[in-house]
Amino acid sequence: MTKDKHELITGGMQFFGQMSASATHEIKNTLAIINESAGLLEDLSMMAETNPPLSPARVNDISQRVKRQVVRADLVVRKLNRFSHSVDRQTQITDLEKTVCFVLDLASRLIEMQGVVVKVIPPLSHIRVDTNLFYLENMIWKAIETACLAAKEKKQVKISFGTDADTPSIWFSMETVKDNLMDDLFGSKEDDVLLAYLNISIKKNKENNGFCLLWPKRF
Amino acid sequence: MSEKVLLVDDEKEFLEIMSERMEARGMEVTTAESADQAMSILKKKSFDAIVMDFQMPGMDGIEALKTIKNKNPELQIILLTGYATVEKTVEAMKIGATDFLEKPANLEALTEKIKKAKTEKMLIVEKQTEKKIKDILQRYGG
Repeated sequence: MTKDKHELITGGMQFFGQMSASATHEIKNTLAIINESAGLLEDLSMMAETNPPLSPARVNDISQRVKRQVVRADLVVRKLNRFSHSVDRQTQITDLEKTVCFVLDLASRLIEMQGVVVKVIPPLSHIRVDTNLFYLENMIWKAIETACLAAKEKKQVKISFGTDADTPSIWFSMETVKDNLMDDLFGSKEDDVLLAYLNISIKKNKENNGFCLLWPKRF
Repeated sequence: MSEKVLLVDDEKEFLEIMSERMEARGMEVTTAESADQAMSILKKKSFDAIVMDFQMPGMDGIEALKTIKNKNPELQIILLTGYATVEKTVEAMKIGATDFLEKPANLEALTEKIKKAKTEKMLIVEKQTEKKIKDILQRYGG
């Protein structure tokens, strides 16, 4: 295995681990509520042996709470399942906006933890690229994470898409950025390997406090 | 005497059920949905233990733990989380977390830990009081 390939796979595994850890954390939170709801029912049934009878409304309330948590956990499992299938094919035609929205959905808890608001401005028409979906998701997450890290004070990140259909691009812009940070964004060996594998380049725009993922022009 | 507990978690439904179950076991429970809210409650009230989720939005668990411990060294903190790594657990214990439980937790185990935490706190407060008395006696020639 070449050093670059090793770097690519290691980075990919880290990304997979980060997303799985976040999703399982959320599942555990829902399980904790379901577990405590079951415990509460046990408590109430024990109390009902000596105290006034258990109110049907109270039981219904707990049952609804459990149902809500099951729906919530199911959504997280569905996301995780879809994400796991990202590695099914070496390359596939992929819609950029849909992929961005999926990564945002998948990593919603991680973004919320950082207190950042991310807004997506949809493209005028679908932009599709033929690429490896898993590593594209990895790159999009790296860009979102970088933008969240760079955003300061007003923690807002705007994601938009280039208008030139022949040159696909995804723009990430922040209201304000931390001093000098724009110079340091990307540039690690791991970033370079991932960008080269996906045939993407990074274009920074200091004036607009942003950067973009840029695909080569299609002929 | 009942144990005074501050329960901190960003999951509102978890707070509701957990506090109801803990109160049914004779504990006096106050809830907070964020570390910031917990900090302001701590300024006004004292507790035997804090049961806190380690990973909440807008908060670094380690930083929050440091801040709470700096301001209230005698406070016993039990971490409750759905995201436990050995690394984080060790780091938290080094900073001064009393104990650690993973979600979904067994309430009986948590209750035991809270009781243990209360005893620990009483011992610390007793030692602090003893030291204060000794200082006063020394200062005034006792």
